[in-house]
Amino acid sequence: MSQVMIKDSIPQEEHLASGHLACAGCAAPIAMKLALKALGDDTMVILPACCWSIIAGPWPQSSLKVPLYHTAFETAAATASGVKAALEMRGNRHTTVMAWAGDGGTLDIGIQALSGAAERNEDIIHCCYDNEAYMNTGVQRSSGTPWGAWTTTSPREHPKSQPKKDILSIMAAHRIPYAATTSVAHPVDLMEKMKKAKEIRGTRFIHILAPCPPGWKTESDETIDLARHAVRARIFPLMEVEDGSRWRFTVDHPGEPVEPYIRRQGRFRHLSDEDISRIQAEVDARWAVLERRVQYGT
Amino acid sequence: MAEAGRHGGIPPVAISNTTTRVNRTGSWKYIRPVYQDRVAPCNAGCPVGIDIEGYMNLLREGRDDEAMDLLLRENPMPAVTGRVCDHPCETHCNRRFFDEPVSIHAVERMLGDRILERDMPTPVTALRPESIGIVGSGPAGLACGYHLARLGYRATVYEAASEAGGMLRLGIPEYRLPRDILDAQIERIRAEGVEIRCGVRVGPDVPWGELARYDAVFVASGAHQGRSTGMEGEDSDGVRSGLHFLKQVNAGGRPDVGGRVVVVGGGNTAIDCARTARRLGAEVLVLYRRTRAEMPAIDEEILEAEREGIDFEFLAAPNAVAEGNGRLRGVECIRMVLGEPDDSGRRRPVPTEEGQFTVIADTILTAIGEITDLGFLPPDVHQDRWQIVVDELGATNTPVVFAGGDVTDSERTVAHALGDGKRAALGIDRFLRSTAGDPVPAVDPERYCFGPEGNISMTRWRDDDPLRRTSPVNRVVEFEDMNPDHFQHADRHPDHHLGDVQTLAGFDEVNQGLTRDEAGEEALRCMNCGVCNQCELCLIFCPDMAVSRSEDGWGFVIDMDYCKGCGVCAAECPRGAMVMTREGL
Amino acid sequence: MKKVIEGNHAVSWGVKLARAEVISAYPITPQTQIVERLSEMCADGSLDARYIHVESEHSAMAACIGASAAGARTFTATSSQGLALMHELLHWAALGRHPVVLADVNRAMGPGWNIWTDQNDSLSQRDTGWIQFYCETNQEVLDTTIMGFKLAETVDLPVMVVLDAFFLSHTAAPVDIPDQELVDGFLPRREARYKLDGEDPHAFGALVKPDAYMEMRLQQQEAMERAQGVLADIEAEWEQLTGRRYTALEEYRTEGADLILVTSSTITSTAREVIDARRAAGETVGLVKAKMFRPLPTERLRAVLAGVPRVAVLDRNVSPGHGGIFAEEIRSALYDVPPDDRPTLFGYVVGLGGRDVTPPVIEEIIDGTRAAERPERQDLWVGVAP
Repeated sequence: MSQVMIKDSIPQEEHLASGHLACAGCAAPIAMKLALKALGDDTMVILPACCWSIIAGPWPQSSLKVPLYHTAFETAAATASGVKAALEMRGNRHTTVMAWAGDGGTLDIGIQALSGAAERNEDIIHCCYDNEAYMNTGVQRSSGTPWGAWTTTSPREHPKSQPKKDILSIMAAHRIPYAATTSVAHPVDLMEKMKKAKEIRGTRFIHILAPCPPGWKTESDETIDLARHAVRARIFPLMEVEDGSRWRFTVDHPGEPVEPYIRRQGRFRHLSDEDISRIQAEVDARWAVLERRVQYGT
Repeated sequence: MAEAGRHGGIPPVAISNTTTRVNRTGSWKYIRPVYQDRVAPCNAGCPVGIDIEGYMNLLREGRDDEAMDLLLRENPMPAVTGRVCDHPCETHCNRRFFDEPVSIHAVERMLGDRILERDMPTPVTALRPESIGIVGSGPAGLACGYHLARLGYRATVYEAASEAGGMLRLGIPEYRLPRDILDAQIERIRAEGVEIRCGVRVGPDVPWGELARYDAVFVASGAHQGRSTGMEGEDSDGVRSGLHFLKQVNAGGRPDVGGRVVVVGGGNTAIDCARTARRLGAEVLVLYRRTRAEMPAIDEEILEAEREGIDFEFLAAPNAVAEGNGRLRGVECIRMVLGEPDDSGRRRPVPTEEGQFTVIADTILTAIGEITDLGFLPPDVHQDRWQIVVDELGATNTPVVFAGGDVTDSERTVAHALGDGKRAALGIDRFLRSTAGDPVPAVDPERYCFGPEGNISMTRWRDDDPLRRTSPVNRVVEFEDMNPDHFQHADRHPDHHLGDVQTLAGFDEVNQGLTRDEAGEEALRCMNCGVCNQCELCLIFCPDMAVSRSEDGWGFVIDMDYCKGCGVCAAECPRGAMVMTREGL
Repeated sequence: MKKVIEGNHAVSWGVKLARAEVISAYPITPQTQIVERLSEMCADGSLDARYIHVESEHSAMAACIGASAAGARTFTATSSQGLALMHELLHWAALGRHPVVLADVNRAMGPGWNIWTDQNDSLSQRDTGWIQFYCETNQEVLDTTIMGFKLAETVDLPVMVVLDAFFLSHTAAPVDIPDQELVDGFLPRREARYKLDGEDPHAFGALVKPDAYMEMRLQQQEAMERAQGVLADIEAEWEQLTGRRYTALEEYRTEGADLILVTSSTITSTAREVIDARRAAGETVGLVKAKMFRPLPTERLRAVLAGVPRVAVLDRNVSPGHGGIFAEEIRSALYDVPPDDRPTLFGYVVGLGGRDVTPPVIEEIIDGTRAAERPERQDLWVGVAP
């Protein structure tokens, strides 16, 4: 088959309403829409401060058709733990409780609560839709920002000089039953991981690459293509890790050169050829590590 | 905890009571997406005017009967064209930029053969009172008769030869087009209501004046006279017209051509001659005055010829026949070089002073083109250099006379002949309806032509497209307009061929096509360029839930109250069937 | 059933009897026995609750908020630095109108490290929107914990039950533990007014613009005001059930007093002894125990203290740059009393960081208050090296 017709594997029902306040071409609502299609309406969403705090709409609106709790920035996983505990105490063991946080609420300010919840193996899904900077506050660096990227707090003269935090490995190190990466350009992969996560008890972590047109300085119609490009160039490999030890690639990663991916984004415009070679070398080295993990486990 | 009616009705906590649909975020946009079916390049490249993309799409959906019906709307003889057409569709196929073109000819052949195995219903049409006379039962004449019959006319075809088919029967060897296939295909055309009278030559047998009883006449008598090479001694016994040779063999003759045959020419007739002579046991050399790259013959045919052991001498032109002891010994040749491009765009061969050489031959077959014989035509039908001058719908300067195929300035391929026949059928339909004062289906050529070459669509002319279209535009979709990331690589199935020994042993069909399963897989390789096939990626990727399925189950609706104009849908459309247009235009 | 138990265990018992459903806490000295005992109760099944062993006080409160938002009765306990770490989420719980109950074992803030009692941790949370009760005895701790749940869930405000480090938390005393049936009748299962509910899905806590924010804050304020009346009803019901009477502002031997001490927490018990001795000696001194700090029982304070010539407020806390916090609050409450009836208010800072407030200290305060025409300064530090 030339084109895989994915529509048959994607439920028609929408759990997300139009009129939400995401920027044009934002990947974050695409991620949510697909996630909820996989999880269904028996889901509660816990939302710390992030772009989605805005996307969900101001009071008295909600763009979600499932219950939603806006919580403090650093508390997603902890609040979700509480919600799940309360539901169980009231005899509800079926509802999926999903914390939905950005890279800040996951990799940075939220990592303590997330680590705590993961260590306790709380029965929650924590999703990180990762747009690789503090986008809601106007593009400031986060630990999810890649090396070399411009942000308003890592200006062109001194772009970010540290690599992106490896949250997947961090989460896998908690030996949680399921951790995975996926992207908005891979709806079937995303939904399959969500569905798989839904059927597992314990802490499940899903890391979704979600390009941000204004923050990455790209056109609004490039969102999906960028995510796909990142995967194809092995910058953001799509994987899953079961019980922290069984690593697996879930799609093909042709290993296209990183340069076109880097060059098309305004946030990397200042990078030299040497800088890009360095990124390529890091991607290659990281890939070798992941391949070993897939082959031998951790 | 809230006391009703106090504090402006604002609750004590920020609890939602409505959705974000109250925000008409569509007001943010300055460009908007539009569904716009474009012309698939295969369709644009098909002189027959077949909706190839359309039948591929139907096959993908498992609607095989509808696929066959769609094919038959435009092409009277898919089992023939699936074998002998030089398939420009494949040359244009966008998939060539992805991996390899879809094997369209093999799919068409498969469908054509399946059609011959069954009783396909003939579409019921209101009968017209007019009748049309057609001169020649080659692909142009048969196509014209077929389409006229489908439009409700009585069509009578006059064929000089004893059997119908024209050049398909006389010029194309059996190993390319088995006679049972050709016979069955012509039988289907007859079954559609076309009368074919064989052994009747217009002129000697039926005077032109007798055709005046028809409401219109379509002249498609072809080009059957071999062109002279101009070489010295061309009238020698051992020098023969290649076309004449082919007619003889195709009629069952097995002439003695001796051990060594030289074929002069680089077109399909030349290759047919070479391969036919090879089957008669000869060593064959093809002389061509340009290089391999300029050869007009179908590439696969050249490859087959090479595979069958035929030699080629490029940049060589025959200069004079070499004789000895009163019989042909060979041909003296001049070495050529390529000079400036000529009118056809190919580089003109220019003779060199040095490098004359002689090749040995018992028979020389000349195949450098054929010319018409239009002696039966009245002089008032305008001709130019032995070709009838026609307009874009095949009409001559004489009101009721139409013409097409090799008698006109048309490319001499089966596909162009079929297209010409259809073009003239449409022209005749329009002419007769106008004359009778009946409504004409479509006045604007944009309604029935598509692609840069103005291919004719009978479906559009009749305005009964079984496929839904969304604001179609007559613009061919380029590969750059598409999003190849949504396609997976799939190798093209090569045609099956007879083994070498079997090939040269006789006139069995060499190209065995594909199995039906393989052809079905080829159909799935089609990318449906430029035409929405309901893959739904626009809906799946829309960040704003602004795209939804239409209530009638076909196509999509974009809610402009919520579309922010991000362009993701158009960018992700795999086939370039969506465009972004400026807001307000 | 009478048991001799530590104050911390009195909290645990109160939580158990209240049938808290979700408990989330992080251990900190001197709160640890509360969570240890609750962990045991959850583990042995005597309390049917989920205990979430969070990694911080911040997450403890976040988990309580989540659980409360989902409709459960929730509890946490902390102290000092832990409470300070919760600060952001104390606001969140209050503005979200989540009736979480928190036991705070009063402990001084560092540095230097100090694990002994001091009210600055809880009083720093004055403006977070929590109801605060300062308890005097282990019995009161238990009873206030149970009543606290009822009050919190009635007015949809979180309640902080405060007890002194060590003096209560680690000190065993006889406590009458009510029957479960009695408590069940008094405090039925929580039925949340608003909650996360798949059958009736809503979003909670979205961006509120200036056009609505004040109305929500005003309703929080109104709920605080309403809490005083609701509390009185709850106390009356509790008294009827148990015979034990509590009140937001308790008067002790204030009849005809020309000097009244205002105390909170365990200092009150010491003060009662001194007052009794002075009354026996014929001195007209009285005592007011300030139990409820938020909402501040302003009207009651005015009614009790108006016309009393001298009032001495004892604060085991200080707002640096100003003075004792209870004194500030009471001084402010009395401002609207007509000048002739307005007492002269002496604010004493005592017992910080767990320093003992002994009868001689209180004697010194009474005598000092009598001797001076007016206070030398608004914060009078007693028992401290000058």
